[in-house]
Amino acid sequence: MTSAIDLSCLSLHKSFRDFQAVQNVSFEIPRGSFFSILGPSGCGKTTLLRMLAGFLEPSSGEMKIKGRSMLGIPPNKRPVNMVFQHLALFPMMSVAENIAYGLKRRREKPDFIKRKVEDALERVGLPGIGDRDVSQLSGGQKQRIAIARCLVLEPDVLLLDEPLGALDLKLREHMKVELKKLQQAFGTTFIYITHDQSEAMVMSDQVAVMNKGRFEQVGSPQELYYHPKTPFVAGFVGENNRFSGKVSNVSVHIVQVKTDCGQTLYAQQREEQPLAEGMDVELFVRPEMIHLSRERVFADENDMTGRVENVLFDGGNSRLLVRVDGTGSEIQVVHPQTSEFTNIHAGDQLHLSWKAEQSHVFASNRKEATV
Amino acid sequence: MSLTERWLSGKRVALFLLLMPLLLYLFFLILLPHLEILNISLRERVSYGVYEFSLGNYQAFFTEPLYWRTFLRTAVMSVLTTAITLVVAFPIAWYIAKVAQGKSRSVLFLACLIPFWVSELVRTYGWMILLRETGVISSLLQTLGLVDGPVEMLYNDVTVMVGLVYTSMLFMVVPLVSTLDGLDDSLVEAAYDLGGNGWHALKEVVIPYAMPGIVSGCIVVFMLTLGNYLTPTLLGGKDSLWFTEQIFTQFITRFNWEQGSAFGILLLVLSSLMVWLGLKLSRQSFTEAMGR
Repeated sequence: MTSAIDLSCLSLHKSFRDFQAVQNVSFEIPRGSFFSILGPSGCGKTTLLRMLAGFLEPSSGEMKIKGRSMLGIPPNKRPVNMVFQHLALFPMMSVAENIAYGLKRRREKPDFIKRKVEDALERVGLPGIGDRDVSQLSGGQKQRIAIARCLVLEPDVLLLDEPLGALDLKLREHMKVELKKLQQAFGTTFIYITHDQSEAMVMSDQVAVMNKGRFEQVGSPQELYYHPKTPFVAGFVGENNRFSGKVSNVSVHIVQVKTDCGQTLYAQQREEQPLAEGMDVELFVRPEMIHLSRERVFADENDMTGRVENVLFDGGNSRLLVRVDGTGSEIQVVHPQTSEFTNIHAGDQLHLSWKAEQSHVFASNRKEATV
Repeated sequence: MSLTERWLSGKRVALFLLLMPLLLYLFFLILLPHLEILNISLRERVSYGVYEFSLGNYQAFFTEPLYWRTFLRTAVMSVLTTAITLVVAFPIAWYIAKVAQGKSRSVLFLACLIPFWVSELVRTYGWMILLRETGVISSLLQTLGLVDGPVEMLYNDVTVMVGLVYTSMLFMVVPLVSTLDGLDDSLVEAAYDLGGNGWHALKEVVIPYAMPGIVSGCIVVFMLTLGNYLTPTLLGGKDSLWFTEQIFTQFITRFNWEQGSAFGILLLVLSSLMVWLGLKLSRQSFTEAMGR
């Protein structure tokens, strides 16, 4: 992977009348990487993608592809192609004609087109189906044809607008891996927008979490998961237990928080915006980071006892709802399917513990919608 | 007989009974008269009340230039009318299906329907009031000083054509709107995104997609125009030379039912042939096009 930049955006803005759809978005995408934009519906990610494709003009800001400004360039002249949400394969054309469409528009020679189309079908793992009708393809095949139709044009950037949304769960899981492999095989820069954090995490090199028209955080999936920078990211990426409270004590690295339910919890002090005593804060801890035990162990800063309220069985993703003694607060904990815990029932007593650095604390922004 | 078989046969009887009115209608009011017309067209009166088989009526059509020229003229003008109607209706249908939103959509649809609240006869006479030598437009032009004398705008091919296009509009707009409605906007966007311009998107995506609607609209408009009597007669006057007029003349004025029937059959053959040709050229099937 080279460090050259394929796409860069500088303080992009888009407003519709008085609604700010995209605000002050800046980012750079290195060549050949898989970049995802993750956000809830209505966060402006589709607007951003349509600006990159050229269907919308930004109200202000700059965007460059390989150093060339894209402002004012119509979609058919941009070195960018898009895989649409519902794929938009042309129903009146065969598979081969669909893939050949863009090459024909470039006035390539017929035998060159034929070779390219066959090659593209080969590379997406569907050789010899060129003569079929689009309606004869399965969901996963359509997906791959839609991608082949774009990649055959060798765009600098491929935009994908939640193309996996319409697939069923099993196929979606399979296509995630498939897409990542295709991206690596072609070496094209992919920009993928989705509201599904698992899609974004599994496939991407970099993920931008978007909320209300702004980028909350851009980073690798690991960064977002282990070091969320805003309460929104902490709440949106992965599961989280959330507590509101006040800072009751601050030591060098540890913040002591008194929650609204009366618990005392500990978290690591934030380096960039240190918290001070008396501040309203929100504290997050992931269900999978909480240590469960039958016997009490005094190893971690956060330590409590509770009773199992409910077992939410979902195979490997099973959860326990634990009501903490003496506070009434409820915590979701991953239910390990190890022999020690398989026979847990509602009403059992358990000890929960986690280290201070495993919980994240943020100065609370009470106006912010919670997830 | 098993229970399912009995149920199925019962279902079949019910279906048959439900279809009965339609079948009776088709047989007695469409098929039977046409068979009789075919029968009449193939005979010749040799003396009072005595007829014998003859192809003379069809021979007369081919030997008398007035007949087959009128026939061709009607065919050509009908094709032209259909083409013009398509070209005019397509942008309207596009606007209604893709651009207009909510209320304006239904208002526009209604606007296409409104002309049909008035009977065709009254509407055409209304047009005559506007267009004749002493009519509204002529007087207005004279009052404004744009022309010196009265202008006759009736009794020419252009007026007939305008009248026919106007009458046919709705029958083209409705099937077009219903097919274009189903066109996913992202198909058009994809056509742009992959390097096409507006013309490519129209030619490669929109028109092929709308083809069933285009064909069904064209079939209906062509048949209606070919068989129209009022508009060409009233707006075209004596010179309009529409083939239906010839049929009317034979049946009513000349009381030559044999000749009139032969013309009727020829018109039927012509319209069937043109529809077949249109379907072949557009590679559409009749059931698919009319199913829209």
